[in-house]
Order: sequence, then structure tokens, then C-alpha cells
Amino acid sequence: MMFRRLILVSVLFAAVPAGAQWFKLPTPGIPRTADGRPNLTAPTPRGPDGKPILSGIWQMNGKYLQDIAADMKPGEVPYQPATEKLFNSRRNGAGGKNDPAARCIPGMPKLDALPYPFKILEAPGEVIMLFEGFTTFRQIFTDGRELPKDPNPAWFGYSVGKWEGDDFVVNTIGINETTWLDNAGRPHSDALHLIERFRRHDFGHMDIELTIDDPKAYTKPWTVKEDLRLIPDTELLEYVCNENNKDYEHLVSQ
Amino acid sequence: MSLNKTITGWLIALATAAVSMQAQWIKYPTAGIPRLANGKPDLSAPTPRTKDGKPDFSGVWEVEHNRPCPANGCDDMWIPQEFLDIGWSLKGGLPYQPWAAEIVKRTQTDRSKDPNSQCLPTGLVRMYTTPLFRKMVQTPGLLIILTEREVAYRQIFTDGRPLPVDPQPSWNGYSTGKWDGDTLVVETSGFRDGLWLDASGSPLTESAKITERIRRVNFGKLEVEITVDDLKAYTKPWTIKLTQMLAPDTDLLDYYCIENEKDRPHIVGK
Repeated sequence: MMFRRLILVSVLFAAVPAGAQWFKLPTPGIPRTADGRPNLTAPTPRGPDGKPILSGIWQMNGKYLQDIAADMKPGEVPYQPATEKLFNSRRNGAGGKNDPAARCIPGMPKLDALPYPFKILEAPGEVIMLFEGFTTFRQIFTDGRELPKDPNPAWFGYSVGKWEGDDFVVNTIGINETTWLDNAGRPHSDALHLIERFRRHDFGHMDIELTIDDPKAYTKPWTVKEDLRLIPDTELLEYVCNENNKDYEHLVSQ
Repeated sequence: MSLNKTITGWLIALATAAVSMQAQWIKYPTAGIPRLANGKPDLSAPTPRTKDGKPDFSGVWEVEHNRPCPANGCDDMWIPQEFLDIGWSLKGGLPYQPWAAEIVKRTQTDRSKDPNSQCLPTGLVRMYTTPLFRKMVQTPGLLIILTEREVAYRQIFTDGRPLPVDPQPSWNGYSTGKWDGDTLVVETSGFRDGLWLDASGSPLTESAKITERIRRVNFGKLEVEITVDDLKAYTKPWTIKLTQMLAPDTDLLDYYCIENEKDRPHIVGK
């Protein structure tokens, strides 16, 4: 897959000089085992309101970037016929040049699935996600506002979040329709409504249960569960995709 | 001056993007903003403070409109003086080293080397002079700046950590801040070579140290005093002051320079 190569090439270039220089910084408040290592199976930390604390540096299992339906059986993704046709035309790297991510604009839900760490910060009225990949961010408003009726199409959409028990539930609409759901090329329409349920199981592990509700592109909503792990004792590095993007010219266009 | 012409080219790119967006600026009341009897934000109200009594810089900020509009009206993207020349307020201008003065001279006829023209990051100084919004979010131990341009961010660590001894070279450097009364003093080092501080081509090198003294004068105004200590590019350290104005009742949109960039082939270069 062409995009996989793009990601790997970028990773290799970034990793060579950086390898010796990952930030090493003890994460404050992290429970540790007797030998001083982070205890990633310690209980989920909770705030004064009893809700799980999501803040920290996380990284998603890389397989979902390549294939958002990696855990689904063949035939389980409920494509509309036109969606399946478009998807098939993009498989095996065909049309990789048409993926905005190849031009350094990743879109949602791909952004969450990048193989680089991201930081969750719970600020007054919003949750902010800072991504090492593409040095970009998402804002998820938690001040009780409703989703806008007619949002400006945006690369990451417009997101609001609220707690339902121990789940932090994020609803996102208004996502630019040209983005791909994964590197395999699964399409979506301008009607895409994403529902993410962030669920922190213990200190070091979290799931995002992601529902894709897009009646123009899929016959019914479908749900995948993506796993993330905490990346302790470090900090985000800077990643500027456009600084030295050599792959775009080699990607295939449709 | 051809510098102005090429800046116009740069502005056309911004203006084109702005036209389609204009009708759709996000309108959302800023939480906790003091208001006048007529409902308008009271921008001269006192500085808001966090629970620990420190000034709270949180809010959406934009450049100070300190540059007269051209005869044919203001641009959608209204650049401040410092966008063109970061040292415009200094008598005699910036104390360039000879090679740096050469870059500035060359840039009058060749703007192709400007990282801005290549959709590369602004770095922290130009971030303040870019005529797009940025949002500060102050949390315990960390001040974040989110920018509309490139949907990017900068972190300023206020948790007491030291600056790294040998930081990874980067566009934003590595920043730590501590309070001096009501002023947040931010120290940054670890820049990569090749940054520009303005459209004139004033360079910054990897040996630079930048100190920002950030103060929220009142509800609607932020002052950022910037000292650039970079003896490779300048004969002595120099200090300027930038003003940032609160943009109330709105939020950030996304702006990608690279999304539909048509100007670069038209920019004159060598």
C-alpha cells in the first residue's frame, strides 16, 4: 500500500536523528512498580468528581490507520454500492495521491489513529488533543453546547463531548468529505457523524469505541473498537509533515 | 518596493481563503466575559485570574491593527507592522550581522526563500504577527497556544521543569515559563536553523535564545515583550513589544496554507 510506505519512510527519516533524543521526563503522579517502572495496570485514575481522568500521552494500535475494519469479518462493513465501488478503486494504493493526508492534511478519524503519540488535556470547557503527528490538535467542547446545525466543513469537524457514566462520549460532524477513513481508502460523505466513546480501563490502557454513522455512504451505522496504550515518561516531539515530504510526487493519482 | 508586491501575493492567498469563510465565522459567546449594559464585551475590564490568583491568558487573540490600511481599503487579513519588519519600532532597526543584512537585502527582490511562502511553520515570533487567530489555553503546569494557521500548537511548560541541555532542533523550540509577579517569563531555546522572524527575512539561528515576558494588561489586551538573543545573526540582543487583542465571542477555524496554495509558482525567486 502506497500510503503505508509514505508513513514508514517518514517514520524512518524522523527516527534516525531523533532516536537518541526521545524526551525522557518522569510523568508526575504515575504509579510505579517496585523496580521504578510505570505500573500500567494500576487502577484508572479519577478526578474529584469521580470521573476517569483521560489526561496523558497515548498512542493507538497502528493497525487501524491502515485498516479501520481490521477486526471485522469480510462482508461486515455495510457499504452503500457506490461507496464499495469507490473503495475498491482505491485499494492497493490506487489513488493514494487523492488522499488529503498525502498532502499533509490527515482528517478524522485518521488523526486519532496515527502511529505517533498524542496528548489529552482536560481544560475548562473543553478537552484538547495535541498530536505529535502533523503537530496538530482537536478541540472537543465540554461546556454543554450543542453541535452546530450547519457547521463549516472542517478537516477534523466540530466536536462536543459529555460523560455517560465512565465513558467520555464525543460527537463529531462537519468533516470535510474528501478525507479517507483509513489508508485502505474507505470513503465517507459530508453526512458523516462520528461517535467516539473513550473508555480508560486502567492506568495504561484505553479504548475508543468508534461508530461511523453516515447514511449516504453506509447502509447502517457500524462500530469498531480501537485500543490505545499510555506512553509514560516522555513528551511530544515536533513533526512537520510539509517540511520534507518527498512521497507525494511518487503516489498514484486517479 | 517589490517586497510589497510579493506580500500582496501572499495576501491574495489569504484573502481568497477568507472570502468563502467570511460568512461563517464561528459565533459563540466567550464564557465568563464581562459585558457592558448593551451586551458588548467589556474589553477594558480587569484581567481575569485562575484559582491560584495568577493572570489567566486563556482566550482567542489576534494581532494589533497598528498598520494603516492601504488606499483601496483594508485587507481581510490585516497584517501588523511587525509582520513586515519585526524591528520596525526600534530606532535604527535590527542590529543585523553582515550575512543577516544580506538576506534582508536579497529578500527585497526574492521572497522565494521565505518559509511562510512554502507553507512551513511560523515559529513562535511570527505566530504572534500572523493575522489569523490563536487561542491560549492555560492549564496547571502547561500553557498551550493553538493556532488557526496550519491547525498547529505550541506548548509552554510551567511545571518547573528545566530547559533541556541539548534540545532537538525545532521550529518552536522548547519553552518553559515561570511567574514573575503577574508576568509569565518564558524562556525558549532549541530552534532549528533557517527560521525567519518577519517577511523582510530577519533570520534566527539555532543558537538563539528567546525570552517572552507575557502580561495581560486587562481583559482585552495582552502584551508580549520579546527579547531575541542570537549573536550569530545579530550583533547584540534586542527587545520589542507586541500587543495582542482579544477576539471575543468566537473560536478558531482551520486554515491550511497547503490546502490550495497557488501563489508559490508566481513568487519571484532565484
